[in-house]
Amino acid sequence: MAEAVAVGADRESLGGRLRDIGFWADWAAVIGLVALVIVFGLASPSFLTLGNIQAMLVSAAILIVLAVGQTFVIATSGIDLSIASIMTFGAVVLGLLYAAGWPILLACLVGVVAAGLAGVINGTLVAKGRIPDFVVTLGMFSAASGAALILSDGKPTQVVDGFLLALASGSVGPFGYFIVVAAVVVVVAHVALFHTRFGVHVLATGGNAEGARAMGIRTGRVRLAVYLISGVLAGVGAILLVSRVGAAEPAINTTYLLNAIAAVVLGGVSLQGGRGNILGPVVGALLLTALTNGLTLLGISQYYQPLAVGVVVVMAALLMRYQR
Amino acid sequence: MASARSWRARRFRRGVAGLALAAVAVAACAPPDRSAEVAAIIKGLDNPFFQAMGQGIEDGATGPVTVQAAQSTADTTGQADKLSAVAVQGFGCYIINPISGTNLVQSLSLIAKQGKPVINIDSPVNAEAARLAGATLASYVGTDNTHAGQVAGDFLAGRLPAGAKVALIGGTAGDVTSRARLDGFRAAVDGKLTVSQTVDVNEWSRSEALTRAEEIMRANPDLAGFFVANDDMGLGVSRAVQNAGKSDQVRVVSVDGVEDGLRAVKSGQLAATVAQYPYTIGEMGVEACRAAAAGHTLPATVNAPVALVTQDNAADALSAFPKPFEQYDDPYRQLLQQ
Amino acid sequence: MTQQSGTAVLSTEATADALLVATGISKSFGNVRALQDVSVWLPRGQITALIGDNGAGKSTLVRVLSGVHPADEGSLTFDGSPVRFASPEDARTAGIETVHQNLALIDDLTVWQNLFLNRELVRGFGPLSFLDRKRMQEQAEKMLSRLSVNVPPIRSKVRRLSGGQRQAVAISRAAGWGSKLVIMDEPTAALGVQETARVEELVKGLRADGMTVLLISHNFDQVMRLADQVWVMRAGRLAAGRRTQDTDGEELVGLVTGAITS
Ligand SMILES: Nc1ncnc2c1ncn2[C@@H]1O[C@H](COP(=O)(O)OP(=O)(O)OP(=O)(O)O)[C@@H](O)[C@H]1O
Ligand SMILES: [Mg+2]
Repeated sequence: MAEAVAVGADRESLGGRLRDIGFWADWAAVIGLVALVIVFGLASPSFLTLGNIQAMLVSAAILIVLAVGQTFVIATSGIDLSIASIMTFGAVVLGLLYAAGWPILLACLVGVVAAGLAGVINGTLVAKGRIPDFVVTLGMFSAASGAALILSDGKPTQVVDGFLLALASGSVGPFGYFIVVAAVVVVVAHVALFHTRFGVHVLATGGNAEGARAMGIRTGRVRLAVYLISGVLAGVGAILLVSRVGAAEPAINTTYLLNAIAAVVLGGVSLQGGRGNILGPVVGALLLTALTNGLTLLGISQYYQPLAVGVVVVMAALLMRYQR
Repeated sequence: MASARSWRARRFRRGVAGLALAAVAVAACAPPDRSAEVAAIIKGLDNPFFQAMGQGIEDGATGPVTVQAAQSTADTTGQADKLSAVAVQGFGCYIINPISGTNLVQSLSLIAKQGKPVINIDSPVNAEAARLAGATLASYVGTDNTHAGQVAGDFLAGRLPAGAKVALIGGTAGDVTSRARLDGFRAAVDGKLTVSQTVDVNEWSRSEALTRAEEIMRANPDLAGFFVANDDMGLGVSRAVQNAGKSDQVRVVSVDGVEDGLRAVKSGQLAATVAQYPYTIGEMGVEACRAAAAGHTLPATVNAPVALVTQDNAADALSAFPKPFEQYDDPYRQLLQQ
Repeated sequence: MTQQSGTAVLSTEATADALLVATGISKSFGNVRALQDVSVWLPRGQITALIGDNGAGKSTLVRVLSGVHPADEGSLTFDGSPVRFASPEDARTAGIETVHQNLALIDDLTVWQNLFLNRELVRGFGPLSFLDRKRMQEQAEKMLSRLSVNVPPIRSKVRRLSGGQRQAVAISRAAGWGSKLVIMDEPTAALGVQETARVEELVKGLRADGMTVLLISHNFDQVMRLADQVWVMRAGRLAAGRRTQDTDGEELVGLVTGAITS
């Protein structure tokens, strides 16, 4: 979206643009978010209160971090199905080290490193083993959650710590630390994808791996790197998760996996790779969060919530077909 | 590039302006006053236990009540999001049944700032975490799962010869409820029965419980009983016992007292179930809210009723369902009747 | 049937000033023996053509020379020293730029991004180097203006370009780096008359600038117009070599089809 077509000839009149379905497709997530905000804002007076907006942003933070990681992988035409299990794995490592008396910052760091290592395994198998992304990360999905269960013996570890509690409830001005963390991740990721050589190589690998290789780009390394990024961001997500729920739990929440992919798709990133964009998935994550939040405020049964998410994602995907 | 970028920026700004406009338009109407209403956030509505709990909350309320549930019992953050969402609506009282001891703590700190009472039902909030987050709980009502396991253990120890072999089937590994029930059972049968093995079944799956029970019976031909951590799995295990043609030899006891479980006890498929009353827990939760609103000081902890249902009283239990068929203590109701 | 050509046969023995010498190159893909014992050399500062029927192994040889596929057997000498290209980057670093038959363009990137692919200009240092978009865009204009009749807009995505424009981008990319050897695999295949003429001008320009060119083409007139020498391949083997001044289109046709052997 941010990198939408930028050709001089595209400057049609406003009316012309509104009639062009491609315009709507490029902006699907933003339009969806605005529409939701208007509908929910009118339907529930609590929706647009400062408190609720803060709560939504906090609850979107983990999803945003995961969606950014997923974006890098999808931009290389891969997919990381293991992102939520790796987060769980990182959380369990963090929790166990904390329980073993490690200082919290070190425990967090090692949790991120553990998640990053899981990502490296993914990347190595994809790049060197030449096994399809789908298969490798499906395996890791199972393996990482298994590792989490084994390490934790299936038991949740309480992590009741002042630092993590402050991370979860503290704020800079009106912005909770969670939002700050997510914002930093987003900015760094955007710069990495659009303002570094690495970012160009990611998009080139996803767009035409053979061509990229012919131009000397080491596509294997690029693939390894995006899985590393995805793993590390899953680790960052793990810190947020543990701080949010006050415990490291071995049970994986698959909603995060599905929503992370959905956010990326909503954000206009093609699953075929080659087209990347950070702000789109962020808007997608906000949209999904606002959707659940709004339905909750309206007291609509949670049975309808997965249905609503499904409808929104498929509608967005349909619209995306007209992307220019 | 520069011109194209500024053109995109303009488009973006236009979008933001629209958003802000919408915000102003709706901010004009003030939120309704919900301070007399109750909001309940429970674990799930995808199984009969929580459905009965939700029903109890709705039936027990005298005014409007909002019941929300997590997507699944792994959806810890989703449940926290829901509590945060209802918290901004300014309800008068909150009933929570947290998925874990700590997952709602951060959202509770939001409510703590409003000074509204929070009634904790069923699964307890971790006290230390609540204290650190500055969250206070007005009262806790729930079943003592260890006690429920003990009741089941006493029953089976009374029916089986000394030293008879039993196997234990728990729910998802690490689940607190499952563990407490199994621990209670083990303590009660210690020295009286022989526990041959314990298995945990992921997601409390009925079909997997069935498979595991078949394997256990094959490995232990002299097995005399199963203790199963919930009725749903208990029904799967009793099916395995029937399939093996061992209905006379192997007794199955489970915990929960859901309607199907009670029927199975009546028909003899289950030897007994230890009934807990999620309906009553929900009902007591709203009573606690009312008592708090009336200015009463609530007891810190209230034990919800537990009853052993065997073939003798299964009919009574079924006709009273989802309410208890025996008398039970309800301190909140006593407060309200004062 | 076969006639023995009376004219000077080009020896596979390289002259001393050859820029690139490939000796005994073989390459198989599973059961397909795409190259068998191929030896060719490219005279420095001249245009060499490589011709042959479809499937003769021309592109495979190109990919071996540009580091895409390592050869199964054989050796390469480039600019006087023996080389092994483990990757296209190695070949590019050594000074070989290639226009692949499939162009190796990234459709979803812009023209300028493609021109600078893996040669991006950055500002800053170490991990804090950021793309210098402005400079790349300016230089991209210059790289393209040498060539095209209708210059593709450098900020548009390659996906939106016509076949000729795409080819122009790929050629400009290969020609733009001041390298020693430019390999072009059928560069004018998708081009109209005017564009073809421009490309031919460009190829001559490269030679005038002292670069060496390896040109793969099915257009024998073009080969006769541009090249200084010609290698002919047939079914994975080197069939013949000629100086262009010693041959004509008719003989080349015969060599390609096998009607003439040398
Ligand atoms: N990557 C590959 N895998 C398997 N076989 C290949 C591969 N690349 C080329 N071949 C085979 O090698 C042989 C030579 O192909 P090559 O592309 O080099 O021919 P060419 O002379 O360039 O033909 P054209 O004029 O059609 O471009 C063909 O039989 C082709 O099918
Ligand atoms: Mg070819």
